[in-house]
Amino acid sequence: MKLCIIGFGAVGKGVSKVVSMKKEMLIEKYGLDISIVAVTDRSGAAINPDGLDVELLIETKEKTGKISDYPKYGVKKISSEQVLNDIDYDCLIEVSPTNIDDGEPARIHMLKAMKDGKDVVTSNKGPLSLNFGELTKAADSTNSQFKYEASVGGAMPIINFAHETLAGNNITSVLGILNGTCNYILSRMANEGSSYLQTLNEAQELGIAETDPTQDVEGIDAACKIVILANSVLNMDVSLKDVKVVGISKITPESIELAKKEGLLIKLIGVASHDNLEVSPRLVREGSPFAVDGTLNVATLRTDLADDVTVVGKGAGSIETASAILSDIISIWKAKT
Amino acid sequence: MRLNLVLELLDVPGQLLDALDPIGKLGANIVAVIHQRDVKTERGTIPVHISIEGDRETLKRVLNAIEEMDIQIIEVDGVVKKEKLTTILIGNIVDKDLKETIKVLNIIKGVRVADLNLKMSDNPEESASRIVIEADYGIKKDLMRNINKYGKSKGFLVINEI
Repeated sequence: MKLCIIGFGAVGKGVSKVVSMKKEMLIEKYGLDISIVAVTDRSGAAINPDGLDVELLIETKEKTGKISDYPKYGVKKISSEQVLNDIDYDCLIEVSPTNIDDGEPARIHMLKAMKDGKDVVTSNKGPLSLNFGELTKAADSTNSQFKYEASVGGAMPIINFAHETLAGNNITSVLGILNGTCNYILSRMANEGSSYLQTLNEAQELGIAETDPTQDVEGIDAACKIVILANSVLNMDVSLKDVKVVGISKITPESIELAKKEGLLIKLIGVASHDNLEVSPRLVREGSPFAVDGTLNVATLRTDLADDVTVVGKGAGSIETASAILSDIISIWKAKT
Repeated sequence: MRLNLVLELLDVPGQLLDALDPIGKLGANIVAVIHQRDVKTERGTIPVHISIEGDRETLKRVLNAIEEMDIQIIEVDGVVKKEKLTTILIGNIVDKDLKETIKVLNIIKGVRVADLNLKMSDNPEESASRIVIEADYGIKKDLMRNINKYGKSKGFLVINEI
């Protein structure tokens, strides 16, 4: 299977590492021989129909920040759209930075790949939370497979879990801690009594929060995931503007202490149900499945047959998120053979 | 010993029979049953008043058996079952009149503010309060919605249980 990877940040690098690590296992177990024929970023691309070298890709990106500096096969200033036009590939891996304003250019990339009958695997929440319906219809119309497990909960199984393992169930709601940055900050505030700002600063230094942490701490990232879950798992037709969002920037050590005295913890919880879409700080009981610390994600799916099912896993991380992308790639391959 | 219960049944054939079944089997006597099918609770369920007699042990077993069938017992001997609800408010407590909020809550039927705790912060805008409410069984969802609405209108950040 020939992959075209658009975006070569943490997740893009993770995908190439994971594909390389598992090369032999994939051939042996699934008869799946993956080669990366193109990688693009803002500087241009690296293109080789015979397959690019993963170590060299990562080395190039880490050295100069530009994939177009890849020796011999680097191409400067070529657009990702152009690459999708020119090269022969089977599956688009769209892992460029999330743009929640209009979902571009990821949206255009995905639509083009689908129009050309290629399969698409993505972790990009932007187009998924703004144009979900448009994308799924486009995929259906050309029978291209469209998978996005990595867009919610990183390595925590949820989307495919709901569709496949819980098939036959009617899922009425999903409740979750879906943003690791916020959970990390709130856990530390609870364990140490520190202030929000101080904890945020430390999280930034550790790379757990971004330099501009707004999307995470104001709950927008979690809201995107709620939209994706609502559309994909609950068959709703909603977008980011339909979610009531309150972040964690106003949480204080005093409020956390008051909660603790009642055996409660403050967590940023996302709720998706037919009568409610919201992301807000909520009180969870100590010892309950939602009392997870650090950057873990948790989600509970309320079903008619299986009652409540809860999943926990690593919500972020380059290799962890890439593992979800690999799982989607394998599943696409299995459907073809 | 006599016990007066109010059970909450679904409007489904056979529910009443299922509820009464264990009572006789466990050795308690059914003294009276009042089943008004045209009276419905807010949840669309039917309240059934049952008066039963037996010794303390037997009656305890009957209550357990009913609860194990997932039938809700709303009242036992005229005392309505209560649920506890905790809410945390963050905001300028002194300015935004927490007293008024408590008063508004206590006025709601079936609601009693059981506990109130405050923790002031260096910045008065960030003071926190914890309100613990005892509410009649079944009104929690509406109550949380009302607390949310009211708290937000006063400019508080309202943190409710899930």
